Amino acid sequence: MSRRRGSTLLLLAALLLLLCQEPAGLRAREIPRLAVRDSLGRRVEVPATVRRVISLEPEITRIIVALGGGDKLVSVDFFLRHFDHLFSVVFPQGRDLPVVSNQAQDLNFELALRLRPDVLFSSPSEFQSAERIERKLRIPVAALASTGRFENLLQEIGTVGRLIGRENRARELAEFFRAKISDIELRIGRVPAAARPRVYLAFWGSLLRTPVAYDPVDAAGAVNCAAGLLPSYLGTAGTTVRLEDIIRWDPDMILIQGNYLPEERAVTAAGILSDARLASLRAVRGRRVHYTFGFWYWWDPALVLVETLYLARLLHPDRFPRFDLRQEGDAVFREFYGLDGAFTKLWRLLDCDDWLPK
Amino acid sequence: MKILVQRLDYAYDGFRLDIDSLGFAGGRVTSIVGPNGAGKSTFLKCAASVLPLDRGCLFVDERDLAALGGRERARLIGYVPQEPAFSFNYEVRDYVVMGRAAFLSVFSSPSPHDVRMAEEALHYVGLEGCSRRPFLELSSGERRLVLIARALAQEPEILLLDEPTSFLDPRHEVRIMRLCRRLAGEMGKTLIVTLHSLEMAAKYSDAIVFMKAGRVVAFGPPGEILTEGLLRDVYDLEMRIVDCAGQKFFVK
Amino acid sequence: MMIGSPSRKTGWLAAAAFVLPVVLLLVSLNIGSYHIPLKSVWTTVVGALSSGRAGAGSPEADILFRIRLPRLLLALFAGAALAVSGASLQALFKNPLVFEFSLGISYGAAFGAALSLVFLGRGFPPQLAAFAFAVLAVVLVLLIAGKSASQIVTILLAGIIVSALFQAFLSFVEFFANPYALQSLIFWLMGSLAQAVWKDLALTLPLIALGVIVLVLLRWRMNVLSLGDEEARTLGVNVKWEKILVIAVATLTTAAATSVTGVINWMGLIVPHLVRMMVGADNRKVIPLSAAFGASLLLVADDIARSAAPFEIPIGILTSAVGVPFFIVLLKKSGRVWQ
Repeated sequence: MSRRRGSTLLLLAALLLLLCQEPAGLRAREIPRLAVRDSLGRRVEVPATVRRVISLEPEITRIIVALGGGDKLVSVDFFLRHFDHLFSVVFPQGRDLPVVSNQAQDLNFELALRLRPDVLFSSPSEFQSAERIERKLRIPVAALASTGRFENLLQEIGTVGRLIGRENRARELAEFFRAKISDIELRIGRVPAAARPRVYLAFWGSLLRTPVAYDPVDAAGAVNCAAGLLPSYLGTAGTTVRLEDIIRWDPDMILIQGNYLPEERAVTAAGILSDARLASLRAVRGRRVHYTFGFWYWWDPALVLVETLYLARLLHPDRFPRFDLRQEGDAVFREFYGLDGAFTKLWRLLDCDDWLPK
Repeated sequence: MKILVQRLDYAYDGFRLDIDSLGFAGGRVTSIVGPNGAGKSTFLKCAASVLPLDRGCLFVDERDLAALGGRERARLIGYVPQEPAFSFNYEVRDYVVMGRAAFLSVFSSPSPHDVRMAEEALHYVGLEGCSRRPFLELSSGERRLVLIARALAQEPEILLLDEPTSFLDPRHEVRIMRLCRRLAGEMGKTLIVTLHSLEMAAKYSDAIVFMKAGRVVAFGPPGEILTEGLLRDVYDLEMRIVDCAGQKFFVK
Repeated sequence: MMIGSPSRKTGWLAAAAFVLPVVLLLVSLNIGSYHIPLKSVWTTVVGALSSGRAGAGSPEADILFRIRLPRLLLALFAGAALAVSGASLQALFKNPLVFEFSLGISYGAAFGAALSLVFLGRGFPPQLAAFAFAVLAVVLVLLIAGKSASQIVTILLAGIIVSALFQAFLSFVEFFANPYALQSLIFWLMGSLAQAVWKDLALTLPLIALGVIVLVLLRWRMNVLSLGDEEARTLGVNVKWEKILVIAVATLTTAAATSVTGVINWMGLIVPHLVRMMVGADNRKVIPLSAAFGASLLLVADDIARSAAPFEIPIGILTSAVGVPFFIVLLKKSGRVWQ
């Protein structure tokens, strides 16, 4: 009696083990693979043909759309669905995609599994999240972010282009981007660092939070006051300074992140101009307090280019006499997303008409 | 101050206190004795308003005690618990000064006069040297005396003492009972004392109240009411009363 | 026992305790990332006092009077508030482990203020909602503890439960706040004096002053209440109402501070104990000295928080770093003050 039961158990155990194995067929077949390095330096191997993509990084999502790979997206993340004003403009089809993350940008693992992605893009600032997701879902995860640097952004465009098989388009966009930046640098001419205007960036809805690296400011011929400080959260570009630091720096201009709907802005130009504590700053006295687009740790590649053009005009008005923000913006967005008037929509939402001094 | 208990009716979990027409003479020491659970401490706590007291139950010189406000009552009746429930390690003098709470408004601190009254109370109980010592460093007997001093600082006419001699050595027992006599005799205060020791009750009281199961069984001067029959009824135990050297002793 | 007459030693201590905050204030005025030489501090202050106005828009004047001074005053007042509340609650509950955290007051107040900021905006003073929810927290604690409220373990457990409850509510609010509001909310919940502006302090400082004064006036009464309900009643004290009064005022004072600074824990635990170790348990000394030392201690902590690193250290982290080991040591030792 017990021997029969014992052998039945053994049989069941063997069956279970078999079921847990990968289908032998898949392992045996040779799948062409592609290897890239992500922002954390990890080596990521993806199948050569990528058909389904989950992206938790809004920046990467937008790059994919700009590269023409929007049909490969099988989901959107929480931020893009609920807080981003731009995405529904450049990728209206995104409305039909399921949301795969929550408020804290944590991944919904079950939903992700069900969507069967070939590759997943995550944020490198979430400690070990890329490893964790890879282990749990057993799919390749690439952690990419630009953290305020153009070189990183351009590299990302190249990497993503390779990963989704749009290398030519990626090269095109990168060249367009570089050309525009070179043009700005040419127009500004060689201004020595000492003569460059010093700018303080008040981002993320707070007067005291600022990015330690923000290339649009550098490319537009200015100096970021907070450049070189340690980020308060490693892997991101942001730090918190003290009010006395701002007064000590006495910047020539203060730029506020304006990529919020006007009624949602916690920090406003009017607020800064009327803050008695800042009354001694030359930027306040000279009323050189303006909005810029800024970022939430991720860029839209088209928008950041437009922002650089805008900042160049703001900081050096004499070099850009006939600058029309709306026209320039629409041109860039047409190049990136193939849409007309996409930038104008955003321009209206954010009241950008008031941003440039008349 | 004459105390009259008209109709005291207090009940809690399975116990009922039922006292009718009990009177305590002014300027006298009255002991309450009886077996455990007879309700001695409960009665005392009702009289001290530690337990809720209804109107029409207890009268002091024809004034209804329950109708008095807390401060007025505290200036009339001082209660000395057997052991303090808790204490920080206050100095003895600060401890006694707390008895002046009934004379001070909520936001006031004791004045020099209050401190003087506290010192006088300490002097009366014989602890004047201990005034700056920490309370918890005193012996049990001395702590009892401090509690009495605190009650005295209230300048009350009536003092209720709950088992003031239990767990004390004979010397302190005698010291406290003699203090009670002095308080009644010299200061004219009305004292009600619950006791376990029949010897103490017999020797130091002007009147004894016998309680059993929440009721008063007998009441009167010790010479009159102390009979072996009464003791058998109250304690359910055969006892013999022995006279020796002018004192009564109770042999079980 | 102490050498020398205790009252003389206490006298010196009291004098030092009340002079120290003033000295620290003057020293702290000179601390900050914008370096102002001592002479400039002197001339700016004197100039302001004589002209009656706070400077003519010079950076030094703006920094001293609009940035540093409100922050320093907030540190002094909040420190006093938290220390005095903690000392009062410990006297009332007769236990060293009771302070504003154990009764759920801190997180109740923080939740109320957060709710007010998110839904009613910055225009509406958060102190009201902070006080309302702090009171609710205390009521909940007493309800949960129920009949055995005299048992300290029950009170502490109830306090932990209620604190956890409000922390959960706070997470809830965070979850539904949009990311723009979230960042500042998180920083504020860790305790920060960085947001001190005169407008916020206009209501908070007088409230704290009122609360501290009332608790100081009640200091002897706390001695009597610490004898226990029964004995206090026999001494003529209206135990129920006076206890409610102390708890209510301690709650108000803590809530007023927390609504502006966020949750700064452990002050109400550390300071009264240090004071009791120095002068004994008599609340007539402990209460006012706790206020004075609490003010000094939080000011020193804030000086460290804003100058030790290139970025702001949330002050709640500093006080926790000191408070937690202190708590552990306290649990193990039984001081001669407590029995």
